[in-house]
Amino acid sequence: MTASQVEQKYNFDIVRWFTVVSVIYLVVGTLVGVYIAAELAWPVFNLDTPYLTFGRLRPLHTNAVIFAFGGCILMATGFYSVQRTCGVRLWSDKLAWFTFWGWNLIIVLAVITLPLGFTQGKEYAELEWPIDILIAVVWLSFAANFIVTIARRQSSHIYVSNWFFLGMIVMITYLHVVNSLAIPVTLFKSYSIFASVQDAMIQWWWGHNAVGFYLTAGFLGIMYYFVPKQANRPIFSYRLSVLHFWSLMFGYVWLGSHHLQYTALPDWAGSLGAAISLAMIIPSWGGAVNGMMTLSGAWDKLRTDYVLRFLIMSLAFYAMSTFEGPVMSLKVVNALSHYTDWTIGHVHSGALGWVGMVGAGAIYHLLTRLWSTEIYSVKLVNTHFWLATIGIAIYVVAMWISGLMQGLMWRDYDEFGTLSYTFAESVAAMHPYYVLRTVGGLLYTLGGVLMLYNVIMTIRQASAAPRLSAAPAHA
Amino acid sequence: MSERKNPATGHDTGHVWDDNLRELTNQPPRWWMICLYLSALFLVVYFILYPTFPLISGSSKGVLGWTQMKRLNESVADIQAVRAPFENRLVGMSAEAILANPELANYAVRSAKVVFGDRCAPCHGTGGAGNPGYPVLADDDWLYGGSVASIEQSIADGRAGMMPAFAAMLNEQQLDALSQYTLALSKGEGRADGQALFASQGCGGCHGADGKGMPMLGAANLTDAVWRFAPGTVESIKYTISNGVNAPGHEGTRSATMPDFKNQLSATEIKKLAVYVHKLGGGQ
Repeated sequence: MTASQVEQKYNFDIVRWFTVVSVIYLVVGTLVGVYIAAELAWPVFNLDTPYLTFGRLRPLHTNAVIFAFGGCILMATGFYSVQRTCGVRLWSDKLAWFTFWGWNLIIVLAVITLPLGFTQGKEYAELEWPIDILIAVVWLSFAANFIVTIARRQSSHIYVSNWFFLGMIVMITYLHVVNSLAIPVTLFKSYSIFASVQDAMIQWWWGHNAVGFYLTAGFLGIMYYFVPKQANRPIFSYRLSVLHFWSLMFGYVWLGSHHLQYTALPDWAGSLGAAISLAMIIPSWGGAVNGMMTLSGAWDKLRTDYVLRFLIMSLAFYAMSTFEGPVMSLKVVNALSHYTDWTIGHVHSGALGWVGMVGAGAIYHLLTRLWSTEIYSVKLVNTHFWLATIGIAIYVVAMWISGLMQGLMWRDYDEFGTLSYTFAESVAAMHPYYVLRTVGGLLYTLGGVLMLYNVIMTIRQASAAPRLSAAPAHA
Repeated sequence: MSERKNPATGHDTGHVWDDNLRELTNQPPRWWMICLYLSALFLVVYFILYPTFPLISGSSKGVLGWTQMKRLNESVADIQAVRAPFENRLVGMSAEAILANPELANYAVRSAKVVFGDRCAPCHGTGGAGNPGYPVLADDDWLYGGSVASIEQSIADGRAGMMPAFAAMLNEQQLDALSQYTLALSKGEGRADGQALFASQGCGGCHGADGKGMPMLGAANLTDAVWRFAPGTVESIKYTISNGVNAPGHEGTRSATMPDFKNQLSATEIKKLAVYVHKLGGGQ
């Protein structure tokens, strides 16, 4: 098919819009992250106003990177790959635009309500009940479009990336609805229908599976389309895809309880979560192995292909994080790591290293194809790659040291059986690492800014050149 | 690109998506399959050893009999064994007696350091250096007495300052005179107009005729340069006289309340804290 035929056949406009806003949200979300990291290092940045305190901006940061950046890149890549692998146009263009504007409305509402202090107090599910209902409706519109498009496919079999997107769609619907069940009191206040430890368990069943199905399964969907496509290589092993897909789907839902070790949660629930977490290392690595082996024999491409470099680095971070997490879920390790910065470091090696890098790789891949042009500057892409990689390394190492120090200081006893350090002393000891973390995050954000600039310039260059397809309305 | 090095040149499944997406029929790597089976085996073993699944009443116990309460009790017992030789001797001893025994006083100071850092330092500052609105504990100026017994009582029962608000009783000129006099007292000077007011308004009833304060009532010594409500300026003194301290129903009154800790800390912990605070530098 020629480029114009492809353009006629598929709905790429929706993909273009989701792609561009995802880059903007990446920059905004990480910038808020850098700001709150600076607040922890230098509390003067609170500026004595409640709207800018860590407690209110932190949910804004997590919502911006997970749901604004993550959601938009998932929907961009999902809508793109489902059309191409099914050989049909999206079922409904109108519904797709509803999804786009609905999702962005949710993001705007989050930006307004979170700094004002409206929150359900549930981590990664802070938004109040009217917004929760909107999320469910918009998410289902994405689901319906995705599923019906697959049902109308021209290929006989469903391609592997679509399994992972489908797994995410089904599980996130279920998790979001159950965790958000609440009794509204006013328009902006509600109370969870679950109480005490049951509420905590439901919350972390959601919390860990937002990681497991949204940030892992969904992004594995991205990996399974973009790695073989970019490398122009077949997937290494169909059988491996099947095995690790089903073991991830059945395993991940059990892990949430490992967030509640040594609490009021019954012993059996905590050890069940720890046991299955550890047994999930190999299924998780299945995806990393399949992605890396797909490149096997073509490693030389890494020298020249800037997109592959992002994708492979993301798989390396994915493999590392999925080893680290299960280790931290074991009670003996958790007793040291829980409530410390180690957890923050772990989350960011997954979020910045895996989610952010695979997302950036997909964005660069999409950029040249959606706008049928060359990238504006390969040099800037390489600078982005190194800024991001070095930024993550600084961030994660700082949090490892800081977290281990915290854990060890909190439990250290002297010869009289007395705690050696006050809590305030452990806070003071964190300062240099909080400064380093801010620097690491800033480097990562700068990389994102370079990508945004590169995206804008590439689109401008494409709009200026004579084109086969309709020029995108937004640039 | 070298196809020879590529293990991925085997047969594909026969399906092609989007022009060039294919899947090969390779087996997963052997090490991966072995580790997958080992993971399943690990689960079986773990399920036998630890409590891992719910039953109709309670849950499986696991053959190791492990529970997190047991684990907690074990580690608490470890610490208590280290503390026991000292703690056993502290039982029934008064704070004075602990203070008098150098070995036990040393233990008390070491043992109370973190309790002070976590419970007391948020208001009184690290090492009792004080904070705006909260007294310094490292000097020899004591509102309620600097003996170890008085300190123990302050910690156990808390303290609440009290001084009436004089705003309704004094005119602006009198307030000014009294404040000027109070400031002069702190410098060891005198002023006739203020001294007369001091006597007629009954200030001496609490602060003493000589202004040296009364620890029994928590009334501050006005003849030194230590100010309960800093800074020691005429404006600040005037504010305190006008609005009082914890004056009931008076809006804008000075607040001076220390909570009681007898329900949060054990009697022994409070005694150890009293010794620690006494030894911060100014115990009497």
